[in-house]
Amino acid sequence: MVDMIEIKNLSFKYSQQDGQTFNDFNLKIKQGEWLAIIGHNGSGKSTLARLIDGLLAPSEGAIFIDGIKLTPENVWDVRSKIGMVFQNPDNQFVGANVEEDVAFGLENAAVSREQMLVRVKESLQRVNMWEFASHEPARLSGGQKQRVALAGVIALRPKIIILDEATSMLDPEGRKAVLDIIRELNHKEKLTVISITHDIDEASKAQRVVVLDDGKLIQDDKPEKVFSRGSDLVKIGLEPPFSEKLKGELESLGLVVPEDYLTEEGMINWLWELFSRQ
Amino acid sequence: MVMGIIFKTVNYTYQPSTPFEQKALKNISVEIPTGSYTAVIGHTGSGKSTFLQHLNGLLRPSSGEIVIGKQIITPETKNKELGELRKHVGIVFQFPEAQLFEETVLKDIAFAPKNFGKNEEEATAIARQMARQVGLKEELLLKSPFELSGGQMRRVAIAGILAMEPEILVLDEPTAGLDPKGRLEMMEMFKELKEKQNLTVILVTHQMDDVANYADNVIVLENGRLIANGSPKKIFAQPKWLIEHHLALPKAGEFAVNFEKKTGYKFETLPLTESDLASQIVKMVHGGVQNG
Repeated sequence: MVDMIEIKNLSFKYSQQDGQTFNDFNLKIKQGEWLAIIGHNGSGKSTLARLIDGLLAPSEGAIFIDGIKLTPENVWDVRSKIGMVFQNPDNQFVGANVEEDVAFGLENAAVSREQMLVRVKESLQRVNMWEFASHEPARLSGGQKQRVALAGVIALRPKIIILDEATSMLDPEGRKAVLDIIRELNHKEKLTVISITHDIDEASKAQRVVVLDDGKLIQDDKPEKVFSRGSDLVKIGLEPPFSEKLKGELESLGLVVPEDYLTEEGMINWLWELFSRQ
Repeated sequence: MVMGIIFKTVNYTYQPSTPFEQKALKNISVEIPTGSYTAVIGHTGSGKSTFLQHLNGLLRPSSGEIVIGKQIITPETKNKELGELRKHVGIVFQFPEAQLFEETVLKDIAFAPKNFGKNEEEATAIARQMARQVGLKEELLLKSPFELSGGQMRRVAIAGILAMEPEILVLDEPTAGLDPKGRLEMMEMFKELKEKQNLTVILVTHQMDDVANYADNVIVLENGRLIANGSPKKIFAQPKWLIEHHLALPKAGEFAVNFEKKTGYKFETLPLTESDLASQIVKMVHGGVQNG
């Protein structure tokens, strides 16, 4: 498959005083891939997202988006291929109602009025928020707000969606609703998804997980491989999966536990077997 | 000072007698005991933040009354009568780091005590002590708060509230946006502060694990009404009721319910924390399994 994003020998630092955030960093992300980036606060995740979106420029090296090298001249064009959803649902609203909010980005991109009406409806239907089109943002729940933010992004038909801790302030229902929509976009439309997250449920949806620590790529693997780090996960900024935490507790109480990563389902089966063997 | 909080049939209406009239609190009667660690849970629009703003008189009830220590707040209570109360109730709002403004960390923390009448020296002494309490290192104190990381900035903001030396500490989603390590450190810090300083803590959260691990009293709001109040054990006792109200169990409880469903084994009591779940499992492995 084609590379949607290629980061080549990237170096970056914020200012003269600060240390290097990235030093000769390399990463390729394929078209249609769902990649999770994890790491503790300050590990460089959000900086990397901003570099990919051209909000920051590398000191050295290059970033290719959909085959095009990002330069100060083409950053506006290239950025139109990327949609970002941020953490706080309350900071992303500009419109007086849901419909206007989704239309805002399209107006900026000089889309015709006819096209705009079509795309606003289409996008809001995609995120199951069309019936709220005339609602005020203030009355929506956090999950509904993030779905509207997502509609604003997909109305622009990006090839890449970056979720920067986009579900961290949502309750479990809201989180599930947002992730279900992302999964559909990823599957059906082959959208490339990059999710920056501390949430194990969100990371487990990815096909590939990249672990950052102080700007270095310390692991690049399938989710279950990364999750089998157990209690070590906290150090790299991820809440360990519940089954791993339970395993740790059981071990400290003297039970012999399997070494491999177990999902919750796997954990239940293992315990069931243990019980019935008595 | 003993600072219990009692709500007596409190109603609150936003923009009354206008087309935008909205009842945010409806006949709330509840007591928050002194020294308790009370969690307030409920969905967006359930009235949590309206409830919270009544705790130091930022909002006054449209009808009914609130008793906090010696202070009685009624619809007629004047703002200037509430100055004393506000020294006793510290509210940490969401993303409190957005409210930092001073040149140095130390000055920012010392702002509140100075504002409440302490002299420069006293206020600085209190600020140093609070900085230590929230785990800010000495070398950060003369830096600009804006040079710090997000987690450190939040600690500065919290130290600023603690510097008022409140008896009641209200926390609105205090760990939103922190990584898991920061989140755990922050929650442990509140627990320690509560024990050391005998605080009453009121935590607004949607993390049911935090409710199970830290709170001893839970208030559940839905559409401005109080729909349940009691210990976490009581609140989480009926998984069916929780689902009806779109509330989740703590992860340990959820795991236990799934386990029971699949295997037919029964736990003695529904475990709400990991350690309780693990010790019940170990007990069952060493015999005493009940096959239901």
